[in-house]
Amino acid sequence: MNTIDISRRRTPALAVAAVLILCLGMSLGAQGLSNQAAEKILEELDDLGNFPGKDYSALFTIVSEKPGEKQSVSQVRVFRRDSRKQFTILVMLPEVNKGQGYLREDDNVWFYDPTSRKFSHSSIKENLQNSEAKNADFTASSLKDDYGIQSIAEGKLGQYPVWILELKAKNNEVPYELLKLHIRKDRTMLLKEEAFSVNGRLMRTTLYPKYVSLENKLLPSQILIVDEINKGEKSQISMTEQNVEKLPDKVFTKAFLEQVNR
Amino acid sequence: MKFIIPRIALRNLSRQKKRSFLLGGAIAFGIMIVTLINGFAGAFIENVSENFSYLMAGHVFVQGAEKTASGKRLSVIRDDSIIFSALRDSGLDYEFATKTSEVSASLYFEGKTIRQTLTGLDLATNLFLRERVVLRQGSWDTIGPDSIILSEKIASRLNVLPGDRITASFQTITGQNNIADFTLAAISVDSSIIGSTMSYVDLAYINEAIGLKSGEYMALGFMLRDLKAAEPFAARLYTSMAGMGIHLFERSAGEEGTATTPFQAMMRAQRTEDWEGSRYSVYTIDDIVSQAKQIVVALDGASLVILLVLFAIVMIGINNTFRMVMYERIKEIGTMRALGVQRKEIKSLFLNEALFLAIGGAVSGIVLALIAMSLLSLIDFGMNTPAFMIMKNGHLSFFVPPLRAVFNVVIIAILTLLAAYFPAKAAAKMEPAVALRTAK
Repeated sequence: MNTIDISRRRTPALAVAAVLILCLGMSLGAQGLSNQAAEKILEELDDLGNFPGKDYSALFTIVSEKPGEKQSVSQVRVFRRDSRKQFTILVMLPEVNKGQGYLREDDNVWFYDPTSRKFSHSSIKENLQNSEAKNADFTASSLKDDYGIQSIAEGKLGQYPVWILELKAKNNEVPYELLKLHIRKDRTMLLKEEAFSVNGRLMRTTLYPKYVSLENKLLPSQILIVDEINKGEKSQISMTEQNVEKLPDKVFTKAFLEQVNR
Repeated sequence: MKFIIPRIALRNLSRQKKRSFLLGGAIAFGIMIVTLINGFAGAFIENVSENFSYLMAGHVFVQGAEKTASGKRLSVIRDDSIIFSALRDSGLDYEFATKTSEVSASLYFEGKTIRQTLTGLDLATNLFLRERVVLRQGSWDTIGPDSIILSEKIASRLNVLPGDRITASFQTITGQNNIADFTLAAISVDSSIIGSTMSYVDLAYINEAIGLKSGEYMALGFMLRDLKAAEPFAARLYTSMAGMGIHLFERSAGEEGTATTPFQAMMRAQRTEDWEGSRYSVYTIDDIVSQAKQIVVALDGASLVILLVLFAIVMIGINNTFRMVMYERIKEIGTMRALGVQRKEIKSLFLNEALFLAIGGAVSGIVLALIAMSLLSLIDFGMNTPAFMIMKNGHLSFFVPPLRAVFNVVIIAILTLLAAYFPAKAAAKMEPAVALRTAK
């Protein structure tokens, strides 16, 4: 009886201990991730979004919704050369803005207006074509360099178990002070990014529902950007014709933007 | 003989009072219109500058700029003691100084959004702003740390009323995104295009939101007793600051042949010049609103065109009248010529008549314009008028530059002489015998 009693007494104690050990193990696992694996994940995310030694081009279709306004559709062709911090964005749609363009070289961004045939200073922090997308969204990713990991948690996004990484900016060169990333556990894929203001308020949520594989890299083919300040304002970006072939140097010049409008 | 011709000319004018009155009246009317436009243009720039300086809370401004290690350009004055020290050294006097910070923000309210520049200043103590910004709704008494004052136009576009909470998103001085909530304390009267774009918030509140520390701000404005003192004040302050070894951006006179204001040229220099550390810019309200000078140039140009068009019509009238006069006085001319009056004296007689007509008409026109200006400036449009920016304390104001008035009179005299020249020449060429036997 005593034995049974003991065993009966021991069973819940063992179960509790097992649960505690499991929780501790999971917790330790998550903590371990924060120090090494989490940084590795950030590095992998950066690698996925960057094309060292290669160029990148794609056709982006941006569908923007704003409260009280009609849905608007813009289309831009994006050319990137990350090795030299360059990009060229050429507006294809709407017809009224056709020919407008953005050119980035290093930290300078110029906006080209074909009507006045003039270039004016812009910024990578500016929004693109009245959408929720910013010029910075078309630059190379540098999460590992720009952000430090503040916390790691586990969660589930839809059917996918995810790592939830909270990042804090290491410098003031980045547009958002805090980021919360939801990254698929089974393979490194960013599913959701929440961007916060300096005072910690949610400003923008970016969802990455679709990916395509290109040269052994997973690239998002659809992005949904939701403005969290002005409820109801969102943009859906669909990327097609994604390519990492070498582009001619002239694509990253002012002359190119002028030339395509002739 | 020297004064006989002018005397005869004056007598001739008085002989045909009605005709002289109509011709002189036409000249006077033209000159009156042109003088009114010149008078309006003359006061325009001073009124705009003065009113704008009240909205900007200063006649002369000092702006701080700083370059970070990464090459980012920040607009900030970290320590203003050196500026005030330079002021004391140069013995410059001012009515009061206003510290301001500015940020471009998106304002959100219930699904509506608008882009707006927020000017941060000490709302609790800036009495001068309270005197100049007329409130349509709300009160200065409800001003708190998170208050915002919007113009009617902006408030209407956002559909907000005093007491509503407005969210603003903007970038800190280093370019990071941030959010702040404001309570609409009051709605100000739209005072012109410039006034309707001004939104005021509390300096300490916005400074914290854009990442400035206590005591830091972006620009320092000095309100002087007189707008005319702005340029000498700025020049002396610049020299004094430079003398203390403070690094300054060169003051600019703008760019020839472009619409770029001196202020814009200075800002461009900040972007393009190679510099590091901290630097200051000194500029006046005229450097900012110098584009208003182009409006004055346009108004003056328009007045000259009106002057020429009006007088092209008047010239035709004068020319016809003097031709008629020539035929009316054909026997008189014949008699004068027979009595020994020379051809050039006959021509001079006609030209003297025209000159007296022009001067009489022009002087009358200027006098009429001055009377009209005095009467118009008596009308009180109040401070609530949208045209407040171009007025002086709610009244229209005029200033006719004396040289401009003289120029108008000279132009009229030349044109009238030109109109009368050919009839005068024809009269002078007339043979006495032919003139005497001509029947009217």
